Amino acid sequence: MKKFLQKKARSYNSDDDEVEEEDRNLKWGEKQSGVVKDEVKGGFKSKFSDSDEEGEENGEEKIEVSEDEDGEIQPGVMRFSEGCKAFRLAFKKITKKTASTDHDVLGPVLSAHKKLVAEKLAEEEAERKVKGEAKKEKHLVGEKGHVKPANYLDSHEKHLVGVATRGVVKLFNAVNKAQNSQRGLNPSRSKDEKVIKRQRKEAFFSVLGQTPSQNTGSIEKIGASAGSGSVDAPAWAPLRDNYMLTNSKLKDWDKMPDTAAVDDFGLRPDADSSSDDE
Amino acid sequence: MARFRNKKRKVFVKPVAKKQPSVDHVTGEKIPKSFVFSRGKLPGPLRQLQMDLRKLMLPFTALKLKEKKRNNLKDFLNVAGPMGVTHFLILSKTESAPYLRVARTPQGPTITFKIQEYSLASDIAQSQLRPRCPQDLFKNSPLIVLSGFGTGEQHLKLTTIMFQNIFPAIDINTVKLSSCQRIVLLNYNKDTKLIDFRHYSIRLQPVGVSRRIRKFVQNHQVPDLRTLQDVSDFVTKAGYGSESEADDEAATVSLAADLGRANRVSTKSAVKLQEIGPRMTLQLMKIEEGLCSGVVIFSEYGNSNAKEKQDKKERKEGEDGDDEDNDEDSKEEEDDDDETEDFNEEEE
Repeated sequence: MKKFLQKKARSYNSDDDEVEEEDRNLKWGEKQSGVVKDEVKGGFKSKFSDSDEEGEENGEEKIEVSEDEDGEIQPGVMRFSEGCKAFRLAFKKITKKTASTDHDVLGPVLSAHKKLVAEKLAEEEAERKVKGEAKKEKHLVGEKGHVKPANYLDSHEKHLVGVATRGVVKLFNAVNKAQNSQRGLNPSRSKDEKVIKRQRKEAFFSVLGQTPSQNTGSIEKIGASAGSGSVDAPAWAPLRDNYMLTNSKLKDWDKMPDTAAVDDFGLRPDADSSSDDE
Repeated sequence: MARFRNKKRKVFVKPVAKKQPSVDHVTGEKIPKSFVFSRGKLPGPLRQLQMDLRKLMLPFTALKLKEKKRNNLKDFLNVAGPMGVTHFLILSKTESAPYLRVARTPQGPTITFKIQEYSLASDIAQSQLRPRCPQDLFKNSPLIVLSGFGTGEQHLKLTTIMFQNIFPAIDINTVKLSSCQRIVLLNYNKDTKLIDFRHYSIRLQPVGVSRRIRKFVQNHQVPDLRTLQDVSDFVTKAGYGSESEADDEAATVSLAADLGRANRVSTKSAVKLQEIGPRMTLQLMKIEEGLCSGVVIFSEYGNSNAKEKQDKKERKEGEDGDDEDNDEDSKEEEDDDDETEDFNEEEE
């Protein structure tokens, strides 16, 4: 077998040499046949590799490489000039085959072990499928909870926008009210500052007279950042609900109600109901 | 041989980072700062959500906070102290759902939310015809509006306080309206017990001005007058769309100061909100007293602590109300046990 191969390789070589010597003005058809020849070689190779003959293949490859180094691979098989056409036709037929027919899904296969190739392909396909599924699953887990919003505003969103708008309007009105009186006064000028201070003092005393209205339990609690923006919040900081909460005193928020021992009870019915819901 | 040192040796200059003030220079109040980071590995969309949250927390947050796998909570806490960081927003992911923990440093409390649904800022922008993002949108911290939290329940009150203090306070006497560009809305739904988290940009438009003129004033571009017979038509003819935008009276404000070109003191302006995202639907799961540790104050699932407490108290009241102190101590221990169990579940 080895010998046969070597011989064949040699013959190929000699062919090429002849071609090199002979002519450049080949017809298109002959060129085509040359291409075919190259492909056939590839086909042979795969055949041999299938039958587990690595060493030979290497030898052939070497020759092929040298061929490539020479430059163009010369087309045309001179020795089988009359058999060339038939072969060309046969080969064309094979290569023209498409995967359209049902029984032959693979399309043109040049290997003798057609079944093996089919098996391998099927296996690959299955593997890919499994991998894809695993990936999809992972992706789904990652996407959990991720929702693409609708293009339109539904009623819920509209309601939310309304609530937010009301909050902004409240704040802006409050700001307007507070800053209207000091318009035209520059706080950095000492003269104006005195005026502003006096105004604030008056506002402060007027607020002290009122009772904090926020404790009456309005449903909507709009605090534009720490509640200082809400209209009904007292202007004097200690009167606000959240006084000192920007400090680290937040930790003891529940100590105070614990002493009253009322809120603890208040928490429980809610907790029970939530556990019932489940 | 001793090498001569180059006399013009470059002095290493420590890059001076632009230091953010820890105290508001007008009101003198402490500015809350935040870290947004994650525990455990997050999938792509959640990482994006983390980035969106960081942008939302701007400007007093670390936008490019780098975290490593080996960083634990203590590392962040150690950095937080000197940097004056007061709040942590921690994203994590379990098999069932992503979680968001909002914690106050260094002592807590920690509020754990389950993120039922979320949409990224990019999703929101994609869903809109004209997404809006002015340049200085994220230069100032947002306002926060909390709605529906006033049911009097203790855990809701704590949540309110937490979120109110997560952004710097506003002094209505000195605040500039131009700095109010964004608003964060938290709306509590009493029936479903879910919190809707939304993030809008605020836009002001003068009322009673046709769209054409408004655009002209804002853009300062030469208008297209091809279709008009006379220049006066530009003013008198109302362009389409101006009437359809029915401005309800509730959304109009009169400004304290001029805002941009179009909004003057004398005129009324309509408040328009446009969502910028992210959007989240949160479910309050539990509140811990410490920073991701400590006694569980409130728990949504099978509030075992509270239940046991209640049972005990009832029993106690039935028997005698004398030795309250002893019972109190034992309760504390049980609480601790339960808490560790909860934590383990969380980690899985």
